[in-house]
Amino acid sequence: MFKLKVSDAKLLRDMATAISILVDEATFKIEPDGMKLRAMDPSRVAMIDFEWPKTIFEEYECAEPTKMCINISELLKLLRRAGKDEAVELSLDEKTGRLQVKITGKYNRNFTMPTLEASEEEVPTPKINFNVKAKTTTQGLSQAIEDAQLVSDHVRIEADSEKLILNASGDLMGATITLQKGSDTLLDLEAKENSKATFSLSYLTEIIKAASATSDIATLEFSTDMPIRIDFQQTKEGKLTFFLAPRIETE
Amino acid sequence: MQEQDKQTVLTNPTLAQAAEVIGKAFVQRRTLIVAGKCHVHYTGRATSTLELGERLLIIKADGALLVHRPVGYEPVNWQPAGSVFHVQSKADSLEVHGVKQKPRESVRVTFSEVFMVSSLSLEDAGEFLLYASEEDMHRAILLKPSLLEPGFKPISYEKKVEPGFVDVYGEDKNGRLVVVEVKRKTAGKEAVLQLAKYIDAIKDKAGRELRGVLVAPSLGKDVQRLLVTMGLEFKALDPKKCAEVLKKAETTKLESFFDGNHC
Repeated sequence: MFKLKVSDAKLLRDMATAISILVDEATFKIEPDGMKLRAMDPSRVAMIDFEWPKTIFEEYECAEPTKMCINISELLKLLRRAGKDEAVELSLDEKTGRLQVKITGKYNRNFTMPTLEASEEEVPTPKINFNVKAKTTTQGLSQAIEDAQLVSDHVRIEADSEKLILNASGDLMGATITLQKGSDTLLDLEAKENSKATFSLSYLTEIIKAASATSDIATLEFSTDMPIRIDFQQTKEGKLTFFLAPRIETE
Repeated sequence: MQEQDKQTVLTNPTLAQAAEVIGKAFVQRRTLIVAGKCHVHYTGRATSTLELGERLLIIKADGALLVHRPVGYEPVNWQPAGSVFHVQSKADSLEVHGVKQKPRESVRVTFSEVFMVSSLSLEDAGEFLLYASEEDMHRAILLKPSLLEPGFKPISYEKKVEPGFVDVYGEDKNGRLVVVEVKRKTAGKEAVLQLAKYIDAIKDKAGRELRGVLVAPSLGKDVQRLLVTMGLEFKALDPKKCAEVLKKAETTKLESFFDGNHC
């Protein structure tokens, strides 16, 4: 049993959008101290790690840990109906096993939707020693990734102690995007050693685009040919982190 | 001199001679094959005893252990890689003791007679090539959903549905649910009926339009008509093409980084 109320529907909608990038059927863990979700996409290349402490909510009631699995794109359809500054309340009807979505504001709407069988899979955190840590503005990062996407479907991210370079080469065209440490886009950069790894742009673009609605600052961590961790700093408390497995370059 | 050899083979050695070669093989992490009369005692997740008999003991360079009887393809006793071995020769026996921590397992192979010992230094960097299995075909569809049709978006795979598992399950460009059953070989009537069963099981819960697609290199005789009668579709897909897709898609899986052993 739980009841969660978010005073601004947009917050929940943006978060659901970010989750929907990777998963369609999302299993949330609703616990007395907050709401969590950790899941991999169907092809198991990317992972999302999401947490909202109960302080984010206007109201938060949860007596005991509960798992709830819902079709996230169906939930999004409902959340898109909520206007600015309207509140959303989620609660589980124990009798029917259905999720109740109550949108209140200019007028009141009460939706119900089915819950699905919760996934029992516990996704661990990849164990990686990161050699590079780069702090960027989410908007700047998003622009750089869009640049790279003009020419290719994958991008090599490289770093030394001074700069972060995005290198994309397609069949015909190529792009090199350089972000200098201390610039307006690359706020900070720590590199224990020069590192580079290649990632799929379709994943990166979608993740960054969706997450940028929730965050102004993104921290990238990577090492040579290891997964990248992208943490999107949340304006309120809460955590939104993605992992993406690399493409291993073959000649 | 012997240490430098690529292989050392002893036939009908004394137990002491055998113990010496076996001990060296452990130190040098060689692949070892011992044929002889032995009994095996195992404790760990269970306890087992294999009475005296003539068998092959294989210990590989990575510490994997296999005890094979003269027949059958499966080993009768085995331990995964990572065991630590010790050999001891006693008055009338030779004991190979393998210990694995986490979970704690111990296996003792006691030879009363050794017919042959080979200690081999083997090199093998070759790749194992196999045309796509059914699972590879799922993975190829997940990686490149357009193999099925443009606009297809996978939601999950091997999804549990009452009679079994749906191979791939997703959404088409018009938002209809798509249940995909994959066959590696020519699909027969059973495949069609299996798919129909899944559709039946999901139908009520889905709450939206549902399509069933049978994916296989080809359809069996007379299967087409059954397929159409049941309102299902067929999509020809060659396992070889799937293998190519998997080869091109060099994207690694996140799972391979969970244990921290990737460096």
